[in-house]
Amino acid sequence: MEGDITVTSSNRKCSAVTGSARKIKDNAADWHNLLLRWERLSEESFPIAGNIVNLRLNSSQSKQLQQQVDEPLLPSSAPLQPTGGAAELQDECCKLQDILNNMVVVVMKMERLMVSQRGVLDLEEFQFGPEGRKVPLFHSWTTKQFGDSFRVLLDAFRQELQLKQTILQELAHTVTSDLSLVYLSCWLHQPFIPPQTRMMLEALLLETGHRPL
Amino acid sequence: MSKPALLSLQQTLRKSFHNLENNQKIWTTVLSECSPLMESLGNLAEQLRALSNVQISNTPLRNFPDLEERLRFKLLQATDTVLGKLNDKMSALQSVRDAISNQVSAVFQLYEQNTDSLDLLTVTERSATNPSTADMLEWLQDAERYYRQQFLRRKTLLQTLRADDLSLLESTPKRWKSLESPGAEERITDTLCKVSFFMESQ
Repeated sequence: MEGDITVTSSNRKCSAVTGSARKIKDNAADWHNLLLRWERLSEESFPIAGNIVNLRLNSSQSKQLQQQVDEPLLPSSAPLQPTGGAAELQDECCKLQDILNNMVVVVMKMERLMVSQRGVLDLEEFQFGPEGRKVPLFHSWTTKQFGDSFRVLLDAFRQELQLKQTILQELAHTVTSDLSLVYLSCWLHQPFIPPQTRMMLEALLLETGHRPL
Repeated sequence: MSKPALLSLQQTLRKSFHNLENNQKIWTTVLSECSPLMESLGNLAEQLRALSNVQISNTPLRNFPDLEERLRFKLLQATDTVLGKLNDKMSALQSVRDAISNQVSAVFQLYEQNTDSLDLLTVTERSATNPSTADMLEWLQDAERYYRQQFLRRKTLLQTLRADDLSLLESTPKRWKSLESPGAEERITDTLCKVSFFMESQ
């Protein structure tokens, strides 16, 4: 299964002798798993976000209709509140919050991987000087390049998480269908995750030997 | 009255109807696969419209850098993907049209080569199980015309789409649906019914 960390005897370059190579290879596997987890959470969350928007828009529509019905006849009475809808809305919001909390954990783990990678780079600079080691640990990437890739991914997911958190706060309160749809679009299409994320991940896995060349 | 010419023509007619039957199924399948793609297209158009209607700087999303461009890019990218898939479906439809056209022109070519030996009486003769040759040729021609026109209309519709013309994109699913011609489809099915005994004979 993808992501399993098995030392392959076919790839001599990733020997367990050098701790740094082991660490980077593990980090790459972890990144892969975290990305998959994010994707699964995203997929789970989308229908819930859609529900929230529908419930909100329907309830505001029915309130408007109720007002239209009541006003000409009984101007002093308050419009009836659809209480069933409110409970369901609350429910869906809680579900979405839970998923978002899981996403926060994913990003936290990504940050930890970044810290670990920074550590590997620092060690290398200590051992070999500011230019790092002459011979790459794997096929061609320098240790710095690993860190740079991780940084790009981390920044993207951090930004995307922030966007989702903002949207979550607004979703249940937005009554204009256009803005609601924009929120849903953002949630689904994830504007801050670069389109080449999958490719970067594959490159990472190829480099570290998780995928055969 | 030349028997061999008639038999040869009938053989080719049978082949044509088998060809028509198979291709009708393929056409229907491919067309039904276009429906979810059209729905996606309409959906994406709706999202693009909503994005252009909203002033991001007036919303809680104002602090996210380049959000509008990034989202638009993603939506257009998704639109591109759907259009690519629709293009693939059009290729499949084109194959169906070509298969039918080629077969029908082959049968007509054979008929024209043998008009000396096939007089009016032979060509209009029908039996309980076999429609007349003239009728069968006409039905094949009608079917060929139908698929040719359908393909042309659908292809033209897709080719006029431009990513930056949002209202064209929005109206596409409806216009696509309006190209449906259940009456003509039914006539082809009827034709195949009428020639079913003929197809099985000899």
